[in-house]
Amino acid sequence: MSKNVSAPLLRTARLLDLVPYLNTHQGIALKELATHFDVTPAQMSADLTTLWMCGLPGYTPLELMDLEFESGYVTIRNATTLSKPRTITFQECVALLLGLDLIAASLPDDRHDLLVAISSLRQRLTDLFGIPVKVSAIPAASGEITNAITHAVQTSGGLLIRYHSLYRDEISERTVMPIDLYESSGHQYMKAFCFTALDYREFRVDRIDSAKSTLVSTDVVEQKSTQEKITYSITAKQPSRDVAERFAIADMPAGGSIELSSYSRQWIERSVMASGGAVLLTSPLAIRDEVAKKAQLMLNRYKEA
Amino acid sequence: MSRKIERLINLTIALLATTRYLTKTEIFRTVEGYEGSPETKERMFERDKDDLRSLGISIDVGSFDPLFADEAGYRIKAENYQLDLGEITPTEISLLSLAADAWQDAAFADAAQSAILKLSSFGVPADPIDIPGASQKLSNSSADLETITGAIGTSDLLVFDYLSTDLVAEERTIIPIALSNKSGFWYVSGVDNQLQEIRTFRLDRVQGSLTVRKNKDAFEYPADFELNQVDSAATLRFAIIDVRKGKGHALRTLATSVKDLGEWDQIRIPIYTIEYLTAQILWHGEDVFVHEPADLRETVISQLQELLINHE
Repeated sequence: MSKNVSAPLLRTARLLDLVPYLNTHQGIALKELATHFDVTPAQMSADLTTLWMCGLPGYTPLELMDLEFESGYVTIRNATTLSKPRTITFQECVALLLGLDLIAASLPDDRHDLLVAISSLRQRLTDLFGIPVKVSAIPAASGEITNAITHAVQTSGGLLIRYHSLYRDEISERTVMPIDLYESSGHQYMKAFCFTALDYREFRVDRIDSAKSTLVSTDVVEQKSTQEKITYSITAKQPSRDVAERFAIADMPAGGSIELSSYSRQWIERSVMASGGAVLLTSPLAIRDEVAKKAQLMLNRYKEA
Repeated sequence: MSRKIERLINLTIALLATTRYLTKTEIFRTVEGYEGSPETKERMFERDKDDLRSLGISIDVGSFDPLFADEAGYRIKAENYQLDLGEITPTEISLLSLAADAWQDAAFADAAQSAILKLSSFGVPADPIDIPGASQKLSNSSADLETITGAIGTSDLLVFDYLSTDLVAEERTIIPIALSNKSGFWYVSGVDNQLQEIRTFRLDRVQGSLTVRKNKDAFEYPADFELNQVDSAATLRFAIIDVRKGKGHALRTLATSVKDLGEWDQIRIPIYTIEYLTAQILWHGEDVFVHEPADLRETVISQLQELLINHE
């Protein structure tokens, strides 16, 4: 239920949903019923008392709902009008459709039956509304890889991964022990102890090509962080959305200098190159010289051709 | 408070049980809880109708005889009130529960759980299925998703400031038709009011909040719109570039053909925008060389010249 619905309306909705639920769960314990609807037993008793007063016009015992709950177990009779589950709202439908999409993407290859079931459910949910419901969710990384990571995190197991490092532009094989899977600025990351680097590293999950479980010795893994951050300064000559997103800066004054930091020298160099004329790297000088040298070499090649 | 709740339940029951439209007079006479002056009853009834509608209950308005303009009547049709998903299997119940759990603490978690609560009334036991991959979660706790979904459902206008590629916030007005999540980013697609064409916007590029404005015009849903459609090969242009062996993986994944040149490979990749591809090419430095088209090549060269002047 949407959060902007008031308390009395939330209660009305709960009472309406109680009737069909009781119809299929005759004799349920009051406590269990309260838990299912996420309220206290006292609130549930109050709900049932209110419901007991409701029925068809006339409101004689013939028309009122017949509820019995004094014994601590609840039964309902004479409630045919409300006996069927209430239809879901558009928002509830969208929430389920997006969730189903995500599950469809994580299904193992041998569960084609579930894929068929999901597509049938999607169709039936969509048909509830007069308009085409167009929603989709595509997970950031293949389900298989996130599964392997989750499993390794849970069991302190090792993984042999093929990782594509964008900064170095290399594909490498590494043995890691994942310790965390998290999301940041729209990307999924794995934090892991890397046995190649003998230190903790963060990996973008969508750049892991494959992950196989492997045996690792946990005594090598100890807390240490030897990496040092490089401080650098850039000036935005032509502020643009691409540059703002590439360097993750919220506020980018034209011509003003911004000081930033990164663990990777290659990342800084490549990000400046990719920004073309839009960004000027003012420090460190070594990287600045490298950018100029690279640009010159590349230009030479285009002149020769 | 519970008197109002009783009245709402009684009204729902009465409007559901009737096989014909009930007039207001009949409702006030028979449904318990309508008391006071005619104006008071009138106000009560108007509010009650709004309240029920906000719970997703649709109330039909009609008259007994369409040929005569007599007093309007009200009823709730069972087919609109009840959830009709046909026969539901235990496996399907489990899949829907997993789908709801994908939201965890995110924006639609409440909506998803409320749907599951309704589904539990079918009394179909869940058949637990083990999907190791169901660890994927949908994240986003912003209220924007609710606003957007609401506007999609009613075909209303969505107004927001969007960060253009030049980093300028521009006001956009769209009729939203789709919501999607791809690689961790949320997108809303809709018919842009000014361009009268479908555009897709990334939600983290929206500045401030989105507002909904009532759409008074009839809206025809674009029939041929599909999410995640791939631009057809006919409209796409292609670039021919050389990539050093063992390098340029990000570009290689886009390649439609690869030719082995020894130390280099020559690949053909689609051009979505010249700007985007130029940045990709420059990122790879000396490991990539552009042959064609000429405009891409010239853009790369002029950016390199600027880089050189700036950093010399």
